[in-house]
Amino acid sequence: MKLGDLVRLALSRLGTGKLRTALTMLGVIIGVASVVALVSVGQGATAGINSRLQGLGTNLLSIIPGSTTTGVTRGALGSVTTLTIEDATALATLPDVAGVAPELASQRLVVAGDQNETTTVIGTSPAYPLVFAYSMWQGSFLTQASVDHALRVAVLGNATASNLGVGPSSIGSTIDISGLPFEVVGIMQPKGGIGFQNPDDEVLIPVTTARDLFVGTDSVRTIGVSVASAKQMDAATAEITALLDQRHGIGAGGTPDFTIQNQAQLLSTVGSISTLLTVLLAGIASISLVVGGIGIMNIMLVSVRERTREIGIRKAIGARGRDVLLQFLFEALMLSVAGGMIGIVLGVAASAVIAVIAGWAFTFNPLTVIVSVVFSLIVGVVFGVWPASQAARLDPVVALRYE
Amino acid sequence: MSEPIIRLEDVSRVYDTGKVLVPALVDVDLTIDPGEFVAIIGPSGSGKTTMMNILGCLDRPTGGRYILDGTPVEELDDDGLAAVRNRSIGFVFQSYNLLPRTSALENVATPLAYQGVGRRERLARAQAVLEALGLGDRLHHQPTELSGGQQQRVGIARALVTEPALLLADEPTGNLDSRAGAEVIELFRRLHASGRTIVLITHDPDVAAAAERQVHIRDGRIAA
Repeated sequence: MKLGDLVRLALSRLGTGKLRTALTMLGVIIGVASVVALVSVGQGATAGINSRLQGLGTNLLSIIPGSTTTGVTRGALGSVTTLTIEDATALATLPDVAGVAPELASQRLVVAGDQNETTTVIGTSPAYPLVFAYSMWQGSFLTQASVDHALRVAVLGNATASNLGVGPSSIGSTIDISGLPFEVVGIMQPKGGIGFQNPDDEVLIPVTTARDLFVGTDSVRTIGVSVASAKQMDAATAEITALLDQRHGIGAGGTPDFTIQNQAQLLSTVGSISTLLTVLLAGIASISLVVGGIGIMNIMLVSVRERTREIGIRKAIGARGRDVLLQFLFEALMLSVAGGMIGIVLGVAASAVIAVIAGWAFTFNPLTVIVSVVFSLIVGVVFGVWPASQAARLDPVVALRYE
Repeated sequence: MSEPIIRLEDVSRVYDTGKVLVPALVDVDLTIDPGEFVAIIGPSGSGKTTMMNILGCLDRPTGGRYILDGTPVEELDDDGLAAVRNRSIGFVFQSYNLLPRTSALENVATPLAYQGVGRRERLARAQAVLEALGLGDRLHHQPTELSGGQQQRVGIARALVTEPALLLADEPTGNLDSRAGAEVIELFRRLHASGRTIVLITHDPDVAAAAERQVHIRDGRIAA
């Protein structure tokens, strides 16, 4: 029998019992839909992590103070106060370092006109936008001169600015930070990003101003370092370690009082974990595909029993075992592939809805579709071949007399 | 003298029930020439169903030789038998055995599909045969929409569409009322007149009377 005849035969057969066909396909539909949706969700999450990676800053290294050790008690990371503004200044001279931004942060009440907000006020250097991948929307960022002279100037994060009702016309106006007047010199572009901390809700002032007015000490929370290129990350890490060891008087084999974190590395680890989770979830979802396949096999076995007489007739008028085998195999394939197609549509729709709810970009991966179709084909063959071979092996004499 | 269509030489068929061996056919010799209309007649249990299965290549003899249209059947494998059934034999069954939920036209065209004949051609040939049997206005009816006599004529059309060497009918009037039965017998007579070789298996002497030769079978042996 020709391919076209087999397809036509299978289609007409499936058309005669629509409810049964639909119910049989349901298992495969659910299986494929959940695989497609979960893979898409996983990819969306990974894409979100990647966009955070890019938002982190160019080739960013974060230096944080180490922990204090009092006697045998080890304090929390960041509890020592040995990392200073001077360290940051010294780091800026290293050859592989493109920019250094110390962060001297505290929570402060900020007042603009009749609006107020408590937000993070960070003392930093002019390299801050370079290091943390910000760009300016209005006005300009802090200058070296403002740092040198500890001027009372402030740059607002985009969210802070809109919370406080500060717009483009407010450049040059005055806001109060903890009761002290500051001149607004710039507003940054929103960076956005997914996370617990909104990167656009902050106020930036010269690091020296922060030290003098708010923190009262030289020791910084973190120093952000932008490395000239990705290839120099390791070299820069070594240089920074050497310099800080020397400045802090830590000899060979001594315990450093600081930690250098490569946040990109951290996030890419998170990314690979989310990929792993995606694979795991898709694996679990594919179990339902197998269950769907068993459903198909069940119905096909019933069908072979019901249609024993038809098989006998077909054999009597010249169908070979192979013809009967292919006829039933094609029915199983049609069930699984049609179920797969419907499953893909449902899965894509579901992942689009999830993408809207979760707020990440909807990604449609054609590879998922191809894999799903191939997978449902395999399900059809694996679970269809046994019933089909049962049909093919029927003795025509017996089958013709079957009631 | 042309080669016979059917030559059975010492054919026997023994069923092995596991405990005892049941001989259904014993040393049957039978020759049927082209153009003959032969009735094989016998009461139930006489072995005529086994005879039908052997002649129709649905079953193989356990002993002896069967040469159908020049082909030694006992040497063929399952696929070979299927091909012989498809090309050399046209079956007409007592209970019509049309494919359910399938139009008359598709039913008649199905044997050609197993020959690999293209859809357009096989539908055309099926239509021609159906029209020749007076079913031109029933092409797209399903079996359940046809009377018994019409269903049997569709069955005969399906048997004829491959131009087989042998038309093999098993109680073709068994499920029909007398008028429809008579029409079917008349149809067989006409086919015989046009040169077809027909073997009719029946228990009914009146039906067997339509044939030009009668072979009586009793207890697995040819009686006369």
